[in-house]
Amino acid sequence: MNKRQAFSETNKPGTQELRLTDDHFPNWRERELSARHIKTAEKAPGVDKPMLVITLVILLIGVIMVLSASFARGSYTAGGPLRLFLRQAIFAVTGIILMLIVSKISTRTISRWSMQLLFVSIILLVLVLIIGIEANGAKRWIGIGGENGILTFQPSEIAKLALILSFAQMICKIGGNKMKTFKFGVVPFAIIIGIVVILLRFQSHMSAMIIVTFLAAIMMFAGGTRLRWFLMVVAVLVSMVSGLIYFQLRAAAPQLDAKDVTIETIVDNVDFSGFGYQGRRINAWLDPDGDPLGDGFQIRQSLNAIGSGGFLGQGLGQSRQKYLYLPEEHNDYIFSIVCEELGFVGAMLIIMLFILLIIRGYWLAMNANDKFGSLIVIGITSLLALQVFLNIAVVTNMLPATGISLPFFSYGGTALWLQLIQIGIILSVSKEIPAPAEDKTEDAGFAYDPEY
Amino acid sequence: MSYGVQVGSNVPARARTEKKNSKQKQNRSLLIRTVFLMTVCGVVAFALLAFRLYDIQVVNSAYYESRTLSAQLRETTISATRGSIYDANGKILAMSGPVENVFISPREIMEKEQDMRFIAENLAYILGVDFSDIMEKSTKTSSQYQIIKSKVNDLESEKIRAFISENRLSGIYLEPATKRYYPNGELASQILGFVGTDEHGLDGLEMKYNAYLSGVTGRDIRLTNAKGYDLMLSGYGDYYDARNGSNIVLTVNSSIQYYVEKHLAQAIIDYDVQKGAICIAINPKTGEILAIANYPTYDPNNFLELGGEQIERLAGIEDKEEYEEAYKNAQLLQWRNRALMDAYEPGSVFKIITLAMVLEENKANLDTIFECNGKIDVKLYDDVSTRNCWSRWGHGAQSLNSAIYNSCNVACVRMGLSVGARTFYKYVDAFGLFDKTGIEAAAEGRSIWWDESVFFDTGNETQLASASFGQTFKVTPIQMITAAAATVNGGYLMQPYLVKQITDSEGNIILANEPTMLRQVLSNETSLVMRSILEDVVSLGTGKNANVKGYRVGGKTGTSESIEQLAMLEENDTVNKDYIASFLGFAPADDPQIMILLLLDTPSHETGIYISGGNMAAPVVGKMLADILPMSLGILPEYTDGDFGDINVHMPRVVGQGIDEAGEILRQNGFTYTLIGEGAIVANQLPAPNTSIASGTNVFLYTDGDDAPRDTVTVPALYGMSYNQARTALAEQGLFIRTTGAPKTDGKSRVSVQSISAGREVMYGSVVEVTLIDSDASERRTN
Repeated sequence: MNKRQAFSETNKPGTQELRLTDDHFPNWRERELSARHIKTAEKAPGVDKPMLVITLVILLIGVIMVLSASFARGSYTAGGPLRLFLRQAIFAVTGIILMLIVSKISTRTISRWSMQLLFVSIILLVLVLIIGIEANGAKRWIGIGGENGILTFQPSEIAKLALILSFAQMICKIGGNKMKTFKFGVVPFAIIIGIVVILLRFQSHMSAMIIVTFLAAIMMFAGGTRLRWFLMVVAVLVSMVSGLIYFQLRAAAPQLDAKDVTIETIVDNVDFSGFGYQGRRINAWLDPDGDPLGDGFQIRQSLNAIGSGGFLGQGLGQSRQKYLYLPEEHNDYIFSIVCEELGFVGAMLIIMLFILLIIRGYWLAMNANDKFGSLIVIGITSLLALQVFLNIAVVTNMLPATGISLPFFSYGGTALWLQLIQIGIILSVSKEIPAPAEDKTEDAGFAYDPEY
Repeated sequence: MSYGVQVGSNVPARARTEKKNSKQKQNRSLLIRTVFLMTVCGVVAFALLAFRLYDIQVVNSAYYESRTLSAQLRETTISATRGSIYDANGKILAMSGPVENVFISPREIMEKEQDMRFIAENLAYILGVDFSDIMEKSTKTSSQYQIIKSKVNDLESEKIRAFISENRLSGIYLEPATKRYYPNGELASQILGFVGTDEHGLDGLEMKYNAYLSGVTGRDIRLTNAKGYDLMLSGYGDYYDARNGSNIVLTVNSSIQYYVEKHLAQAIIDYDVQKGAICIAINPKTGEILAIANYPTYDPNNFLELGGEQIERLAGIEDKEEYEEAYKNAQLLQWRNRALMDAYEPGSVFKIITLAMVLEENKANLDTIFECNGKIDVKLYDDVSTRNCWSRWGHGAQSLNSAIYNSCNVACVRMGLSVGARTFYKYVDAFGLFDKTGIEAAAEGRSIWWDESVFFDTGNETQLASASFGQTFKVTPIQMITAAAATVNGGYLMQPYLVKQITDSEGNIILANEPTMLRQVLSNETSLVMRSILEDVVSLGTGKNANVKGYRVGGKTGTSESIEQLAMLEENDTVNKDYIASFLGFAPADDPQIMILLLLDTPSHETGIYISGGNMAAPVVGKMLADILPMSLGILPEYTDGDFGDINVHMPRVVGQGIDEAGEILRQNGFTYTLIGEGAIVANQLPAPNTSIASGTNVFLYTDGDDAPRDTVTVPALYGMSYNQARTALAEQGLFIRTTGAPKTDGKSRVSVQSISAGREVMYGSVVEVTLIDSDASERRTN
């Protein structure tokens, strides 16, 4: 029986058992068989403890920082200094419960519902354009219960998770060889990305568009899409950007000689204000002091906070920039307050925790029991890494401002839930990793490799 | 079909191997790609972030920290109260009192969405500021501090408070501030100077001693949130309390200052003085400055406004620019302490110094006879140059003291030549006339003298000859009076000073000035002779009009013209000549307590009074001394029998008395009287009781009820009349007379000015004071 047959057979309705190909769970049946033979079931190792512990530590620090960061603004507004903290704490506790529940779900169940989740998330992305809560001229939030909702969530957040799960599912179904073709390795994914990105474009949700695109690319990259397609896209993007800069330079400084083109001259002459809101953010990124009270205000305040933290920080709770100087101080810019209060040392400590979390995630992916599990862990870990990197890069003005929050830190209940659910999924995958045999501890390879 | 089944099935081994190989390859590819992702997402990305954070938080931390603090720290100043300035008797001349500034926070007004127009209209109405100004300030919505009006008075700040609370407004604030007050207005204005809006001394002692007076401003440094409110839970910040300024006690006696200014202002009117006047009063024994007055003067409370009638002088200027220029010049002139800054040619007053050096050098004594035939020739290389005396016919043979009280130029030239140029300059130097006196002032002027090479030229005596009677050089008034004081105080050149002591806000003395003798210039004996000769000037000579009955007054007159003018005008063109009429007087002559130098710069020729120091400056100094000696210095007059006919006396009160008793009282006081009516009791008297009146006045007593005339009468013109003529002219109108200046009993005395000008309507029975001058007593102007 060849691959094609296996693929078509699995798509027959009513054959749930048969759907599972060896690409999905290569070791599953073998292990079941061996278990049957050996009669001594391996002791279930449970969820990955390091992953769980690191997550909980980061979450704890994050919630404390929400308290510290929101304290000042809360004091000046009706809700009181503890309102945001208490809300975040409630979400954190319930989120941990959700995480543990999700970690109990088997990878197979997750895989089974992944395409449906994508479908639902696309529906939600359409729905948000109609019933979404309007804020700053864009509808990105859907409220549940009441006018503005007791709970609000961003369909884009769900779409990211759905994308990870569905792409993993598709990659497994398409199979390794076909992933190398353009027809199977690029087109189906491109179509889904296209739909999602266009829907996000209607929300003017730049950050989600960026993350979704990167995430999709990472999934395809991990899934085995040929590198040349990525290189082609990168080439197109690079030529577009350099073309843009070239024409900008020509218009702004026609006398400029080619050999005089440096970073400075580009920064001085290129003006993106013609590109609307995003363009102004780019201008502010290139020159934060150009409009210190306007577009550059937020990034300047952020840098002030980070810089005045110094090496050891002002001390927990001692931020001064949070006293209404820095906008979004408990939200997208919470890391600036972290840097101000805990200093370079504290910031590096938190970054180290994130690095541990991420490396542990990839390690779990490499050890996952099956390809699907591996792919979704890669996706979730990458999403986490992407969010953390982009957030900190923005608050330190390495990149232009986008609305990306810092996982486990930024204030936001449903987003935190989703992050914890994603960790729950990783934990779910992790608990299916067999405990390594004593003599095989050094062979940390892919557990489902038939060689083992 | 299952994997397990496959294992056992007969799938060709090659295919299985291929599949296995491809799967292995795929797995390897996934592994490699995952490791790649782990490297990029887990390590490289965060390494970049770490570098970036290191750059911001460690390398450039100080930059960001300072940038942050500059936005977060709010420094409020706690204003130190500026020290007060007191006169020698502890009377306040300058003080700072609390007031309030009104400011708005445009940001807050905008944030609270309040009606700026309504606020601006009301503020403009209450504070009297321009509505559009307020509206313009309110557009600066990023600001929280826009001053609407500084230093508002109590009434205005109350109204502002009421306006705020009635309308429940926010964003309008009052902050405490201080304002400099000069409670006596113009009094001693050029000494004190004035302060700018920030209470920084801009002129006079306010400027000179600004560092002492201003104190140290306190600072309150606090962290604030972005709205400018204090940061909660923060111990960060600093507080430095303000240290109030030190207080300055001056040597100036405000009572003397008051009389000096009063008579100076009157002299300006009486003699129509064109270019202002200067007066210095000094304690000749100690060098303490008792008063300095300059005219035109101003009120330091409103120092930008022109004082006195100066504004009227500008009225004729039509051109706007020209007007502004003139206004600015008038401001500069009124602020200028000319007594310390502007050098002038002292003229005959300088003869004091020439006399002193002749006596000290024993080139002459009281028995020396000086011949004057009206002119003297002095050596000018092979030729001679003639110096005229003011008396064209000459004074003939005169003793030393008569040469001085005649103010004889020829005699003074002889004196100067007798000591020689080198000795002359030696004394000029010894009297401190080459150097600044070093008095505490924002600025002091320099004297101008011939260069030694010119002055010491033995072939040319013209400079020495002219200098001997006070021409062809310039000294400042303060230099002149300081030198003159040394001639009468026993010969000691005293350091003139204005500041008695400075005490800090707790009362500790941080600076105290004592009388400082710089050097002894003359012997006590010479000084004694000087005093007696200068007393003769007033009792017998050109200074007669400065005589104050009951006191021994010494002095010297001077009438000088500038060397610049000499070069410009024809010698005989006396009509257009500008003169400085001056007088230096001191009293009591045997024990000088006060010395006054008065300069009247360019009296008008149009008053008809012959312009000379003796005619104009001397009577004014006499009037000053008549007030100052008893009132300010507590020196009571001692009248001689001869004086009695000349003095003014108090009119006793006889109303209600029987006519006999009343008559007796009046007779005892030297009055005559006329009874009007048939009654036995005095119902009214004219002049009114307690007025000062010339002795020997005929008093009207009304006995038939109060039937004294109530109508007004016209004051007659009295200029040039003798005392008796003036008294008769006044009596015809039902007016009474009182005199100052030269003795009324002296037949040569003539009225020069009258206290109520001719043509004015006054009540029947009013008293007119006339200034008598001995017109013969004034030197003639020739130089």
